[in-house]
Amino acid sequence: MALKPLSIAWRWALWVWIALAIVGAFYYAPLAQDFIGQSSRILFFHVPMAWASFVAFLAAGVWSVLYLWKRQPDHDRAAAAAVELGLVFAVLATLTGAMWAKVMWHAWWNWDPRQMSIVIALAFYGAYLVLRGGVEDPEARARLCAVYAVIGLVVAPYLYFVMPRQAEFSLHPQPVVNATAKVEMNSRMLQVLLVSSFGFTVFFFWVHGLRRRLLRLADRRSVAP
Amino acid sequence: MSWLSEAGAVFAKDWRAELRSRHALHTLLLFAVTTLITVSVALGPLGVSSTERLAVLPALLWVILLFAAAAGLPRAFVHEEETHTATALRLAATPSAVFAGKVLYSASLLFAVEALLVPLYVAVMQLPVASAGDLLVALVAGGLGLALASTLLAAIAAQAQGRAALFPILAFPILLPLLLLSIELTRGAVGGPVGDGVVTNLVLYDATMAVAGLMLFPLAWNP
Repeated sequence: MALKPLSIAWRWALWVWIALAIVGAFYYAPLAQDFIGQSSRILFFHVPMAWASFVAFLAAGVWSVLYLWKRQPDHDRAAAAAVELGLVFAVLATLTGAMWAKVMWHAWWNWDPRQMSIVIALAFYGAYLVLRGGVEDPEARARLCAVYAVIGLVVAPYLYFVMPRQAEFSLHPQPVVNATAKVEMNSRMLQVLLVSSFGFTVFFFWVHGLRRRLLRLADRRSVAP
Repeated sequence: MSWLSEAGAVFAKDWRAELRSRHALHTLLLFAVTTLITVSVALGPLGVSSTERLAVLPALLWVILLFAAAAGLPRAFVHEEETHTATALRLAATPSAVFAGKVLYSASLLFAVEALLVPLYVAVMQLPVASAGDLLVALVAGGLGLALASTLLAAIAAQAQGRAALFPILAFPILLPLLLLSIELTRGAVGGPVGDGVVTNLVLYDATMAVAGLMLFPLAWNP
């Protein structure tokens, strides 16, 4: 299948866009106050990774609901591809977070509420993939995995809103997502952060489309005689 | 047959089958008691020092209950699939009524185990119960939450390969908020610090799981 000029153009545009975000992160954005050394620059990669994993898991939930409603195998493949990519982004967000924590808090890991939430998300979507591997019948696999992903949507508010509130305190910086609902960030930093987040989101949907096509081809090959 | 009597019939059927073999009850109880003995012996004759008691003991109690539940509760569906009675049950009863009956059965099984284990635990571990009411709320709401989530997840795990190993993997991330809330309330019941709104959150968790179960179980149960 030959690519249309437009679809080639936006891929190049994405390349330029993310390159812009990288340059912006190191040369355009100022350093945040009260951060050790250059450590605040990881923000422009760590937050978009966490955001992309959140988008991926949310998309997986939506596709699972769609599957349970319409029973289209393609929705199931889309959900599976989104979970796989969401896990990759979540692992990257966890690692970059731990690196930053080592610099700022002098510990790779200290069970900050955010670290707790992401570990549970990793365990949950890891279990989703184990479940996928455990059911042979494609229809039953799609149905059971979709139900499991929807359970995840139900429990997520506890992980994101109840448990961090239950905790005594968190050391995690909260300039964007916070209780006062105001953005407390230097405007240049915010610009780079938004550019980077948008870039990561588009990047996710691009790779997701590729992965979805691969899964479709694999299914077609296994069905064909 | 009304929905309620269907759910009641599933509940009665499960208990009748259980009382013939007493397999799940024995598994749960022996698992809980063996773990309790292990923990108690490992901590030594004097137990945990009084300063650390509040931090350690409520958590251990819920770990024991979690493992006992993971060992015994999935059987409710694994047994149906293994003996091929699941198909008959699918034909005979409304899916949500099956869910309600199974939840009642699992919850009553857990309550029976709690009733035997917790007094033993309090006595052996020298746990100073300050508020019996809070402890009861934690055990009932926590046990009900365990039963609700386990029933939904066991129905999923029972239809996959490696059922026994799959269940804890599927259940752990979903049960974690429930366990943390239960541990905190239990800690409050023995005189430790407890946050605001723990009881509310615990009840909300159970309500959410009940609604999610009634909606999602039919989708997981019917092929």
